[in-house]
Formats: sequence, C-alpha cells, structure tokens
Amino acid sequence: MTSQEPPIALGGVAPKPRWSLRVAAAAATAILVIGVLAVKLAQLQVTDGTHLAALALANSVRHVVLEADRGIIYDRHGAALVQNSPVWSIAVVPAGLPSDARDRTKELIELAHLSGVPEGTLATELLAAPDLFAPVTVKANLAQADELAVSERLPDLPGASITQRSVRTYVDPMVFGHVLGYVGPIDGLQIRQLKAVGYQPDEMVGKVGVEAGLESLLRGMDGWADVEVDARGQVVKVLAARAPVAGDAVYLSLDAGLQKATAVSLAAGLTRDNKLAGASVVIDPSSGEVLAMVSLPGYDTNLFTHGISRADYDRLLKDPEKPLLNRAIAGQYAPGSTFKMVTATAGLQEGKITAQTLLSCPPYINVNGWIYHNWASYSLGWMNVAKALATSCDTFFYQVASMVGDVTLARYARAFGFGQAKGIEMPGVMPGLVPDRIWKQLECGVPDLNSDACRWTEGDTITFGIGQSYLLTTPLNQAVYVAAVANGGRVLRPTLVHFVRDPAGQLMSRQQTEVTGTVPASADNIQAVREGMREEINRPYNMNYWFRAAGVPADGGGKTGTAQWGGSGLDLPTHAWFVFFAPYAQPEIALSVFVERGELSEVEAAPIGVDIMKFYRSNLGSIRA
Amino acid sequence: MSRLDRLQPLVAFMLATLGVMTVFSARADWVRQVIWVLLGASVYVAAALFDYRRLRPIAPALYGGMLLLLVAVRLVGHSALGARRWLAVAGFPLEPSELSKLLLVVVLAAYLSRQERVSWRTFGGALGMVAAPAALVISQPDLGTTLVLLAVALGILFLAGARPVQLASVVVVAITAVPLLPHLLYGYQRRRLEIFLDPAQDPLGAGYSLLQARIAVGSGGLFGRGWLHGLQGQLGFVPERATDFVFATFAEEFGLLGSLVLLTLVGVLLVRLLRTATVASDRFGELLAGGTFCVVLVQVVENVGMNIGLLPIAGIPLPLISYGGSATITTFAALGLVQSVMLRRRRVAHQERLPSLGTITRRAQA
Repeated sequence: MTSQEPPIALGGVAPKPRWSLRVAAAAATAILVIGVLAVKLAQLQVTDGTHLAALALANSVRHVVLEADRGIIYDRHGAALVQNSPVWSIAVVPAGLPSDARDRTKELIELAHLSGVPEGTLATELLAAPDLFAPVTVKANLAQADELAVSERLPDLPGASITQRSVRTYVDPMVFGHVLGYVGPIDGLQIRQLKAVGYQPDEMVGKVGVEAGLESLLRGMDGWADVEVDARGQVVKVLAARAPVAGDAVYLSLDAGLQKATAVSLAAGLTRDNKLAGASVVIDPSSGEVLAMVSLPGYDTNLFTHGISRADYDRLLKDPEKPLLNRAIAGQYAPGSTFKMVTATAGLQEGKITAQTLLSCPPYINVNGWIYHNWASYSLGWMNVAKALATSCDTFFYQVASMVGDVTLARYARAFGFGQAKGIEMPGVMPGLVPDRIWKQLECGVPDLNSDACRWTEGDTITFGIGQSYLLTTPLNQAVYVAAVANGGRVLRPTLVHFVRDPAGQLMSRQQTEVTGTVPASADNIQAVREGMREEINRPYNMNYWFRAAGVPADGGGKTGTAQWGGSGLDLPTHAWFVFFAPYAQPEIALSVFVERGELSEVEAAPIGVDIMKFYRSNLGSIRA
Repeated sequence: MSRLDRLQPLVAFMLATLGVMTVFSARADWVRQVIWVLLGASVYVAAALFDYRRLRPIAPALYGGMLLLLVAVRLVGHSALGARRWLAVAGFPLEPSELSKLLLVVVLAAYLSRQERVSWRTFGGALGMVAAPAALVISQPDLGTTLVLLAVALGILFLAGARPVQLASVVVVAITAVPLLPHLLYGYQRRRLEIFLDPAQDPLGAGYSLLQARIAVGSGGLFGRGWLHGLQGQLGFVPERATDFVFATFAEEFGLLGSLVLLTLVGVLLVRLLRTATVASDRFGELLAGGTFCVVLVQVVENVGMNIGLLPIAGIPLPLISYGGSATITTFAALGLVQSVMLRRRRVAHQERLPSLGTITRRAQA
C-alpha cells in the first residue's frame, strides 16, 4: 500500500484498498491451495525422497558386461581356423517406446515386420518386462541384410537398437570340426563349477574339441562398465569401467594342408570301398605333436554356434554313423594285427625268441581242443620274427604270446601306451582297454572260476597276441604307439598345441616334448621289429604296389590289421587298420588309419596312408617350415 | 511513478528467469524462450501503457476474434501429439487456446462490469459466452484448457458477486454430468482419467509420465540435485520435461527449498494481482485483475498438481516457467493489463475550498 497524506489533513476519505469478502476469500483460497501443494511436495521430496532418488538412480545407471573376444585358433603356420564373426540382434528398451498407444502399436507392427516375430509376442514380451528400462532382445541372430534394413529404420523406431555380439565361425568345419569342437551356452551342470571362476550364466563355453580343452586359454576376461543411460537406453556417460581382455591366440600343432589332405584321402578311400566311417591321426614321432587328426563323418560345427535347429540336432543324434563321435580319440576298437609289434617286442625282450629264431607258420594251431586259424589256409613255412611281421602270420604270434604269457604281454602293451587315455588337449579321450585275468573276472560280475566267461584261458592269451581277445585301442593310441616303435621306444604325450600367444602377440608358451614312458626293450630288439615293418611294405605284388602306384618311396615301416569284432567265431565283421612311419632312418611322421567295417586292410586302409604320405612328401617344405 | 506496482513485474521476471534456467536444463530451445520472455516484456510494457478501459467497448469484437481464431485452428491448424492446436502466424506457431484464456477474461470482465449485481440472466449469459470457446477448445481436443476456461469463468463470476446458489447450481450440473463424461471425452482423455485413478494400467503411457514425474520430484530431496544435474530430467526419463512436466524438472534440480521459493513467488504474484483488484478505479479493472488472478492460479494448481501426482494429467503450462511462446507472451500481456489497471487506479477526487487559493483539486492516491 502506498502511503498518502493523512486523510484528516485533507479532510476527505482516504481511498483504501477495498478488500471485499470475496477478494479476501480468493486470496485465502490461493494461499490454502498453494499450502496443500507445498505439503504434498514436502511429503514427496523429504519423506519419500530417498526411495524415489534410488528409483531415479536405478532408471539411469546400468551395469553392462563388456564381452571379451575369445582367442583365435590357428594352425601351426598361423592360418586362422576360426573367426569371431559379428551377429546382430534387435533390442528394445520398453520405456523408449512411444507413450502414445497408437504410435506404439504402429512401431510394434513395424518391428514385427522387420524381425519376423509376431506383433502379439512382441507386445507381451515388451510390455510385461519387469524392468522397463532394461533392453529386451526381441530377435537374435539377424542376417546381415536384415541388419542393414533395421539400421536404416532405426531413427523412426524410438527405443529400438541394434546390438552386436561375436559368434564363432569355423573355417572348413567338416575338416577341422572334430579337432576344434564348438562353443555353446553353459548348461546347468557346468554352471555350478564355472560360476566360481567368474562365468556368467549366459556365457558361451567350449563344449567339445580344443574349444573345450583349451577353454582357460581361449576365454578372455570380460570387462564391465557402469554407464549412465538416458530414457532411450543410449549411453550418456561411463561412470566406471574395466576393459575386457581377449583370450590367448592358440597355434595348434596341426598343419592345415596336411589336415585337409588327410581328410580328402580318408574320404576318398572310404568312398572307394563303400565305407562310411573312419579316422586318421598323423603325429610327429619326435615331439608328439599331432599334425593331422580326422574323424569321418564330420559335421558342421557352425550349426552349433549359429543356433542349431531341433531338427538338425536330432538328425545328428540319430544318424547311425554317429557323426558327433570323434573316432580319432573316442572310438575304441580291437587293433588286430597292428598289435603284433608289441607281441614281437615282448618275445624278443623276454628272451623267448631272438631275431633269428625260426618258428613255423601252420594254417592253424590246436589249443586244448580249440582250433585257432591263421589267415592263410596253408602253411607259410618257417620264418623269423621280421618275416612273421611282414607276412602277418597269426600262428607265429600265437606261439610267441603263449611263450610270453598274458601278464607280461599286458605289461608290454601298457608300456606302448595301450589302455591309457592320452593327455591331449580335448575332453572325451577314451583309453582303450588292455585286458588281463583280474579284469576278466571283474567283468564277469559274479566271479565263477570254473566258467570260461570268467576265467582267463590260453585262447585269450594267444588271441591277445594278435591284437584280438578283449584288447581295444583308439586311432590316437595307435599313432602314439607306432611313433614309439619309430623313435626307438619313447612313448610321447600327444599334443595339439604348438605355441600360445597372448592378445598382445607375446609368446606365452611353446610346447615341450613330454615323454610319458619308455618301452623296456633294447635298441636291437626294437630295431628287429622295425625291420619287420619295413619288410611288410616292401613285399612285391603286395603292399609295395600302393607305394609304386602313388610314386611314393616305400621308405619306412608299416603294418596292416584287419580286426574282428562283435564276439568270437569265423565270419565276424572286421575293422581295417594301417599304421605307418617314415622315413625309416630318421622318422618324421607316424600315422594311423582306421576304416570302420573295413574288410581288407591292405586294400582299404593302406592306400589311404600312402596317399597321406604322398602329400606329406610333396609338401615337406611347407609342412616342416 | 509511485502508482506503479513494482513488486508484480519483479516477481514475474524472477519466475521467468527460473523458467529459462529450467528450460535450458531440460535441453529445450532456451534461446527461443529468452526471446519469448523479452517479447513478453515488451508486450507487458505496451499493455501497461495502454489504457485498459479502451478494451471494454471493443470486447464484442475481441470475443468474435477469439472465436474466429479457434475456428481457424480447427480448419487450418497444425497438429502435434494428436491434437490440432497451432496456427502458423508469420512463421510463428500461435496457440489460440492460450490466447483465449486472456481474451475470455477481458470479455467476461467487460460483460460483468455492466451490472453491479449478477442476476440469473447475467449469470446464464456469462456461462453462454464461455460455452462457445470451450466447445471449440475441447474439440481440438484439449480437455485441460477447456477446464481452465470453465474454472476461470467461475472464478470471475465469484469475484463479480455471483450468489452462492448460482455457483452451486453449476456444480450440481457438473456432478450430474459426470456419468455422461465417458461418452463426452475423447478416447485418450478417458484413458488419462482412468490412468490417474490407476497408474499401473499403462506403465508406458500416461502412467509412465505420472510415475517418472513423481520420481523426478521426489529424487530432488530437500536441496535438489543442483541445476543441470538432475537425472530424470537431464536424461529424458521425464516426458515433456520443458513444457507440461517442467515443474518436475525444476523440483528435481532445486529440491523442496527451490520449489517452496517458486510457490512463494507465485503466491506473492497472486496476492499482488488481487490487491490491484481492490484498488481498481472501476469494476472492469477489478474484474480484469481478478480474472488474471484466476488464470494464473488455476494453471499453477493444475500443473504443479499433476507433476506431483495430485491431479490428473492435462496439457496445461506452468505460467512463466514452461517453454512456449503463446503461453509466455499471453501471461505477460495479462500481467501488463493488470499493471495498466494499477496505473489508472481509483483516485479520490477531493475538492477543498480555500479562501486564499480558490478551489483546488487534489487527488489522493490509494
């Protein structure tokens, strides 16, 4: 109110503000209403303030995991065998969708069109999300073309974004698949152990092959970031972060070229003889490094990393040829005649025979009234151990096995690495089986010493001597065994790793040759066995034919084996084997070839080995670089 | 110049300053808002210099103009957010419904100032005058502004001396109309009302706005997060953070203390407006000031009320704070007219006869 002259002095009525009842009521109303607002404000900002401030923080601060790149797997020369290829998915922050119901429906229709997910599904997924500000993946594994289409529309699709993730893409999975294996989501059983070492439940982990065997090297260390995001889910500010560390780069001992040649040779050999399954392992007999490892049939490991369909998976599981089985490490079969070098070594070393001892090779022998046949229905005459290996005379080795005895024979078999799971860098390696008396009784269940099913018989002993009986081995064990014969008796730990580099390219470790055992035999005795293997591949009109036909010098030692399986009797199905090392003087390579249901090892298995050798010899420079 | 109400423009300018700061923080086009405020200030000065009494004879023309603008916006208006509310005037967006708030006050003040008492006939006439613009605004559709127009009309009628029974009759009619409401409202308006009653129904739409505004206000706490440091407002979790929900943005950054300062400023402004009404030289001026009081009060209550979850959502700006040209300039114009009333307030003509000086006339000022 402005003041004025005293009214008395003026002698008139002062024009005071006329606060009528109504105006006063209006003022009171205004003050009352503002007071109510203030009280409500105080309640929100003071009483509920802490709670609502926490909600605001939960809205805007997110913890995100920064995925580390998994280590790349190379062959020994640095050829990449797997890539981390990007895949895209559409993610939607529900709160980022338009608030107007009509616009929201329009966007959902558009998203349904782009993703191929029905609109109804999208609506329930998004609108029922427990956290409206957390991105929901509505469509994973977008094709690249779709990714481009969606990216183009993104500015008109509030709340939607494209996220990128790495997926393992394997190079030539039909050739390298069994060795490399694949990664997959952690399953319920694994998560309990893996959580302790910092795995997230949605992480990918190596399932089979070296992906699983070298998991600790290949897996990087995930980083994380606490980020502030806006209402559309865009990152505004990084509050704190730890960068991810990529996994180590692993250089396998495999030679990609030799691996392919091995796969091609094996596949061609199988096709030629109408066979469906087989395996081959090539190793370096001086270091134990695996140069090639193939199991057929193979399968497309990329199906597993890019999201396998139920139908594809069922097909793989139900395939009678068991493509998921890596026969090279997990297929257990009787070695047949390829075992005879063990029997020969035992006979020589135990003094039962010498390199010059001559034994007969009759068409059969009679043991306690049981007849045990040679492969030939006629006598092959008298022969020493080398000739017996070269001609693969069964009756010769029946006699030697009988002289040595089953216990000693089992000891030599184990010394050559039979019956032992090799410590190679992948899971699922099977040991094979070296039988003995105790094993047979335990196998029997209720021990009954009087039945042939439980009691070790002389027949068990002599068939053990030719790699039958209950003996089982794997293509990998066979390769290690022939490498030991080749290198003079050193049993090596087979390995698939050549060297490892850290993400910065620094050499972490180089594979060291590890001798797991030495065959207790003199150099002369092993030399006698090697001599027999050389003779076998040099017999005219027989094995030598394949070498001459392929133009490969028959310099080395080999042994075929046609092993019966599925019981006992005369006309049993067989598997075909071929083991080989070369060159004879200074062996560089040792290999095993296995043909499932192969009938004639000289015809079916041996040419595959010769074919592999041919590639090896003509590409010696690049393989040994 | 002692006739001037200095406090009123000072408070208005302080509010406008807080408005620009909040608009800046809300990442709206703050430069434009500054221009609107400066334009508003010029309009304020012009309106204060203008003799408000000259508005009275042209009130029928103003009424016609208002209806014309509202019809035009129906016909050639621009739409946004599903409603047709804007007219392009010389490249500037004009929102006639904002202007209509002021024009309605002028027109009703002129109409009601003719009689000292409000007869039933006058009362009905006033309601009839509101009905036409209200019908046009609600068809935009803009329920919020319609309710503001109706509330302002009732406020002026009350200040003009309408009898309680008259006002009560309107309330009775309104209550009887409630069952009809769902049929009269547009779909989204009905939704808004339903969602106000149960926000969980629509977590992404209107319920989302309510919830996020509540979170923003609450997270401000006693002292606020500090200017430009709000989370909800800065990061866009609060929708319409510079216009309808500008108060939430403000309250988050300035806290309860800042909010109380803002409400106090508004209270001072409102009391100053009423005070002008009490000293106006004529009934027209009195009702003009009283009507402006109603316009400001109703909008502040609705806007702040919906920001803190007391009232349903309606697209009503917070006068002098919200981003927007039409609303800012209109508010300044209304305040300027009130200042004009203040400048031309009642004077007591006082004559004295003094023998020595003859007749002198002194004018005392209230």
